[in-house]
Amino acid sequence: MHEGRPSLRVEDLTFAYAGEEHVLEGENLEVEGAGLVTVLGPNGAGKTTFFKLILGLLKPLRGRVYLNGEDVTGDPARAGVHASFVPQLSAVRKDLPATGVEVVEWALRGYSGEERRRRALEILRSVGAEGFAGKRLSSMSGGQLQRVLIARALARDTPILVLDEPFSGVDPRGREELVELLSKLAESRMVLVSTHDPVLTLKRSRLVVVFNRGIRAVGTPDEVYELEMLRKAYGPGVLVIEKCLHVIG
Amino acid sequence: MYLDPRWFAVMLGSAAAFSALSPLVYARRFNFFAASLPHAALLAAALGYVAAALLGGSPAAWAVLLSLPPSLLLVLLLHKGVSEDSATSAFVAFTTSAGVAAVYYVLTSFPARVSLWSYILGDPLLAGWEDAALAVAVAALSIAASLLLLQKEVSIGLDSDFSSLSGIRVKLHDYALAALLTLVSVSLLRAVGFVVEHVALLLPAAISSRLARNTREFLALSVLPSLAAALLGLLLAVQLNLAPAAAYGFVLLAAYLISLLRGGGA
Repeated sequence: MHEGRPSLRVEDLTFAYAGEEHVLEGENLEVEGAGLVTVLGPNGAGKTTFFKLILGLLKPLRGRVYLNGEDVTGDPARAGVHASFVPQLSAVRKDLPATGVEVVEWALRGYSGEERRRRALEILRSVGAEGFAGKRLSSMSGGQLQRVLIARALARDTPILVLDEPFSGVDPRGREELVELLSKLAESRMVLVSTHDPVLTLKRSRLVVVFNRGIRAVGTPDEVYELEMLRKAYGPGVLVIEKCLHVIG
Repeated sequence: MYLDPRWFAVMLGSAAAFSALSPLVYARRFNFFAASLPHAALLAAALGYVAAALLGGSPAAWAVLLSLPPSLLLVLLLHKGVSEDSATSAFVAFTTSAGVAAVYYVLTSFPARVSLWSYILGDPLLAGWEDAALAVAVAALSIAASLLLLQKEVSIGLDSDFSSLSGIRVKLHDYALAALLTLVSVSLLRAVGFVVEHVALLLPAAISSRLARNTREFLALSVLPSLAAALLGLLLAVQLNLAPAAAYGFVLLAAYLISLLRGGGA
């Protein structure tokens, strides 16, 4: 099991894809300790790009990223020591004949043979995926595949877990169950989750980062779940109807 | 019906070699590369003759050596951000133009010593013991490489970001796979031929990806039908006086069509 208090520090982070406008410009963020951190923003806000910068999968034009105090800027192998990743379902190829058990086994280090298989099944059981883990990925529902991908990320045993839009492609009941699972995982890890739905993880989050082509606000759910705050990310589409906030369009 | 053991060695060796690499091609979506590779292999074979005639040495060794730079350059272009379509177009434009020029030069300058027809059509029936040994050795190399690489290549194919975070050097794997495919293609071009090489590399995994239930079966169901197709193709070719590589290609195609009827998989 990982030790120490997980931390994420982003300094002056600036990024743009070739020939396009900046997605981030001079962004700073510091988060420390276990808990669920929701990165909230509409589709196309650049949340995936932000996560890829944090994980060293993209190199920023300027700025640094530190995970647990180590500089991991543009270095995924080094970032992978501290953080694991669950990509969007659409980013995973499902036509390859791999089973859930196999992908978790491949992510494990320091195990071999039967011991590796046993450990993989143990992790799959911990996320409620043991019933379908022997199936091909192409035969799984969105919620089932998401659990297998979470198990694969847990197999890396890192103190930070990054999940990109984990609720997309998952049915409403599956979403509720996923939120439960992520809350449980966040008791001992820093779990960063991106979502465009402001309601799903709000009550369970320790911190919410409002994001739209840059960090617009950071705070506790109570601080951020305000009309003006949400409008920073979603624009005028946020309305108060019957004393409740609604994101329209 | 006379059947020479060398024919079997060359046909089965070639089928095993290509079909063992086929799942790697499928997993990494290297189909664009595999489809354009025979052009580069034909160019390398022709240049190998020219280099051997001018500088001495074995044409086959020269061919292997000369085939690698264009393939690695193609991978480099992709890593530099050139789109797959553009890079492949440039690669095929260069290798086909240069290949035709080189073949023309060889045919007009060394007509008595060289038959390039076998490189285009494939002719295992002309194989000597040296060709048979080469086919078996290349098959062993391909199977060993596939057993060693398949898990990582499928991992990268599933999700390259997670693989990078796990410490897998994805770019290095790109170069290694391109080099391996080039090496095998050039080595076995004469047995299978320029035209059918596409089929031998691409169809086996198209079949097994539909039928396999896991990654181990992915490799096994790529190699076994391909071996059966090579055996049946050779027997049909000898019996009916057909081109062996073509008969192999047709049987493999039939196997693919049957796999479509079976459904399942991808």
